[in-house]
Amino acid sequence: MTLIDARELSKSYGEVRALVDVGFEIGAGEVVALLGRNGAGKTTTIELLLGLRSPDGGAVTICGAEPTSVAARGRIGAMPQHTGFPDSLRVRELIELAAAHYEHPQDVATVLASFELTALADDRVGSLSGGQQRRVALALAFVGNAPVVMLDEPSTGLDVEARRALWEHIRAAADDTRCVLFTTHYLEEAEALATRILVIDRGRMLFDGTPQAFRARFGARRLEYVAPSGERTVVTADDTDAYVRELVASGAPFRDLIITQSSFEDVFLDLVGGAV
Amino acid sequence: MEFRLVRAHVVALLRDLLRTPSFLIPTVGFPTMFYCIFALGYARTNADTANFIVCSYVGFAMLGVTLFQFGVGVANERGRPWERYLRALPVSVATRFAARVIVALIFGAASAGLVGIVARLLSPVTLDAAQWFLLALAAVFGAIPFVLIGLAIAYWVPARGALPVTNLLYLLGLFAGGFFMPPQYLPSFAQAISPYTPTRQFGELLWSVTGAHDAPHAMSVLVLYALAFAAIAIIGYRRDERTRYA
Repeated sequence: MTLIDARELSKSYGEVRALVDVGFEIGAGEVVALLGRNGAGKTTTIELLLGLRSPDGGAVTICGAEPTSVAARGRIGAMPQHTGFPDSLRVRELIELAAAHYEHPQDVATVLASFELTALADDRVGSLSGGQQRRVALALAFVGNAPVVMLDEPSTGLDVEARRALWEHIRAAADDTRCVLFTTHYLEEAEALATRILVIDRGRMLFDGTPQAFRARFGARRLEYVAPSGERTVVTADDTDAYVRELVASGAPFRDLIITQSSFEDVFLDLVGGAV
Repeated sequence: MEFRLVRAHVVALLRDLLRTPSFLIPTVGFPTMFYCIFALGYARTNADTANFIVCSYVGFAMLGVTLFQFGVGVANERGRPWERYLRALPVSVATRFAARVIVALIFGAASAGLVGIVARLLSPVTLDAAQWFLLALAAVFGAIPFVLIGLAIAYWVPARGALPVTNLLYLLGLFAGGFFMPPQYLPSFAQAISPYTPTRQFGELLWSVTGAHDAPHAMSVLVLYALAFAAIAIIGYRRDERTRYA
């Protein structure tokens, strides 16, 4: 069942074309990572899906409804930026406030427990650490029991440990009844969570497929060596054995031959053609 | 508009404000403090003066709450990430606005009520129950244009400028309206301007509860001010929507 339907979305800010003909459908059960460099169009995409901005061209429907309608917003659980909470509210109060907006919210106590917030329920949001506030933000996205969950950079600024803990929460909260769409610029985050990868660059969709297809696209392995001149050669290939045989047969001198599994990052850099 | 949601937003706003004593105490107590320091001496001289002054200070209290809640409050919130989150929730603008109006009424009632109680205890006011009730009605009706003036400030002045601009208009408005001293004692230039200020018309409406003031005239001018500032606020709101959420 299609939950998010985005068709040929275009959006410009003055001269800047933030999105050009971006389209995708997302169904229940999918966990989709939207990848891109800063300024690639990730946030604009999310804003169009949330109805916070309207597209210049194309259309979005969320469960069949216009994203600006209260009906569509009732089907979306969004994650607030953790920096902007009303500081003097307590964790439980904030989650209850969000839950009050939905027809069939989750039980607040259950949500508190599943995001490890039970012990913090009576603390003021302003007194929490960055990682704890991020868990509150996630709880706000999931408490409405909405079929469409959107997380904009859920783990930016967290340390590795807190980020991995956050992934566990997202993984546990995603299930067959809903889809989760998240943006990130941590490639390992996409690798750890996503069942589908979207890559966007300069407002255009460059890739839409499974993580396996993403890896396979530019060769599964990465091979590098150094010529006597000191020049480093890096190639990606599926069959590195054949490449090495050819290299040796050619008689060209080399040293420091290294073969590694291509990382997500290699593929991503290859795709967008530059530094992240 | 759902009442359940209005209530949820009222409760959240109240909690946020009540837990900020640095907001709460000055907002609610300022008019009463001013009353005790500057007005009580005059108010104790006779009943007419006491009645006039309590009406003024009830208006003073309403003016402060409405201008600051809607001017400074909305100006500060409109650019915040939390506002963006609230916009993505399934709740209409009308519901959230209704919640804010209710919160302003609650704070207005607290701030003006405190003035009334102190005046009743310490000055020879002679308002009867019907007059107190009329005064409350006048205070709520007359506060409407100032809600809209506050919103006009909020949507036309950047957040950083909203506080000084609101302060300036608040104090000038109180002065020119005859709230610190009755209009006939104002300096001549202020006397010339005074009848054209919304605060003066608010004052006329409040003073009509106990004295010979033209309430229908004051009410019609206040309605005109309300319409004018509603238009300015709406244009500002649309402009903000276009730049922030287009």
